Amino acid sequence: MECQYVSYQYPHQSTGIADVTGTFPAGQVTTIIGPNGAGKSTLLKLLARQLPVASGQITLAGQSLNEYTAKTLAQQVAMVTQRHQLYDDMTVSEVVRTGRLPYHGLLQTVPAAEVTPYLATTGLTSLADEHVQNLSGGQQQRVWLAAALAQEPAVLLLDEPTTYLDVHYQQALMQQLRQLAATGMTVIQVLHDINQAFRFSDWLWLIKQGQLVTQGRPEALRQADLLAATFQTPIEIVDVPRLGPYIVQVPEASEN
Amino acid sequence: MKQRANWWYGGILGLLLVTIALALMAGTVWLGPRQLSVALSDHGSQAFVTVFSLRVPRILSSLVCGGSLAVAGALFQAVFRNPIADPSILGISSAADFFKLGGAMLLPWLPGREWLMALLGGLVALVILTSGRALADPYRLIIVGVALDATFVGLQQLLSSGATQVSHSTFNGLTWADATTLLVLGVIGLFVALLLAPWANYLKLTDAALKNVGVPVKVIRWSLLLLGMTLATSVTAVVGAIPFVGIVVPNVARRLVGHDYQTLIPFSMLAGAWLMLAADTLGRTVIVPSEISAATMMTIIGGPFVIILLQRGRGLHGMSIR
Repeated sequence: MECQYVSYQYPHQSTGIADVTGTFPAGQVTTIIGPNGAGKSTLLKLLARQLPVASGQITLAGQSLNEYTAKTLAQQVAMVTQRHQLYDDMTVSEVVRTGRLPYHGLLQTVPAAEVTPYLATTGLTSLADEHVQNLSGGQQQRVWLAAALAQEPAVLLLDEPTTYLDVHYQQALMQQLRQLAATGMTVIQVLHDINQAFRFSDWLWLIKQGQLVTQGRPEALRQADLLAATFQTPIEIVDVPRLGPYIVQVPEASEN
Repeated sequence: MKQRANWWYGGILGLLLVTIALALMAGTVWLGPRQLSVALSDHGSQAFVTVFSLRVPRILSSLVCGGSLAVAGALFQAVFRNPIADPSILGISSAADFFKLGGAMLLPWLPGREWLMALLGGLVALVILTSGRALADPYRLIIVGVALDATFVGLQQLLSSGATQVSHSTFNGLTWADATTLLVLGVIGLFVALLLAPWANYLKLTDAALKNVGVPVKVIRWSLLLLGMTLATSVTAVVGAIPFVGIVVPNVARRLVGHDYQTLIPFSMLAGAWLMLAADTLGRTVIVPSEISAATMMTIIGGPFVIILLQRGRGLHGMSIR
């Protein structure tokens, strides 16, 4: 997936994305990081075509995203958002089955058996008939991931997927994304936790005020000055035994 | 839940059969099972005329109207993602009633006038309802709907002082011609509703989530809205506005058979048919030889039900008001 001079501006607001050009390597986990309001989620929405690109273009497999029909795009790109909502009661199986809709006619019913592998991959087999509203935050997140995987996408987009997860589930999810990328899937996520981003990503995008600061491998971008300039806060990189380099925000000179 | 749903399906079918039998027997003249069987065989008897000219069309009409109103309510609740949305509370039915009356005064020559005018009225109310911000805000939706309802009721009262035809929302006096119109429109509408039931399930997801899986949200939303509106206004065209069936039935049905619209819509159809028939049969037998109209019966049953439903949060049973 590639962005070429992509711009977008929210109506009546100064925020948006300006002239972003860069690649999201296939078969790798790319994480977009940057301060609040930098345009991370906006970029993700543009990649999912939830927002229209104002200028420039986004291509997938050499084809502009705009050339895909809603259905063919849904077969290529899936998105797990920060907080999914259900307006009414649904079971785990029912939600995951909606991920198969891009492969069926609108009036067809998706057979329950069709989602068995995705329930298994996300450890939800025993919860298939449970009501989603009765599940924990971590379990619910897995349900939405399973629904996204059921789309069999080439590109998986995740907007802050660890927000409602405890440390254990955060780690498990990150490992799972790595495994998915290893199968050839392009995984693109937005994360707030910089250390998590550096630890579990193959490729990083640093964005600030709607612009791409730089992109590259985590080792190459682990520079205190670069991160301090991006996040506009003093940053140091310390060595933690058994963990390696760890990025910490240090108090400003005037702070006590 | 499947097993439980099957039991309830069996239960409602049994109730329907018993109520149909009672409705055939009950009336100004009570016909016992024996007299009823005589009526069936002797086509020249007075009992035959009573049953086939008066009771059967009335029973069929009540069944179709009840089923149509209940399904219309379920569809509106799915589309507006609001458990108390329903064509009667949102002003669709009263708009249809008002337009029907207006049509009788201004276009008496128009073929299929009552149905066309009721449909037009429903459409006007639907456009008003969905053109502003009401779609995005459940409380605004209900307030706008109630205001719309009051406005059209007021307009109808204004017009009715000079009208020769005034709607009483009753099944009394329905002919075979009325019943046939209702049957044709109702059966087609209900069949389409069964076909589109999976779409109502999709709307449990957010619009963004639906777009992600390539579902044309606007197409399914408007298809279901127009279908619900057509079902409700068909009833208004022939019988008049009957409130609350669309709220009471689907909400009780959710408790009994669950929230899957592929189960809920057929069950609501049967339960709505039963409720309407039971209400009408009761209404025409409790104060014989006079009768209480179906609309009045439903107001007496439905009003307290909605109050209880909303005052007890648990009544919504998992369906959240956004």
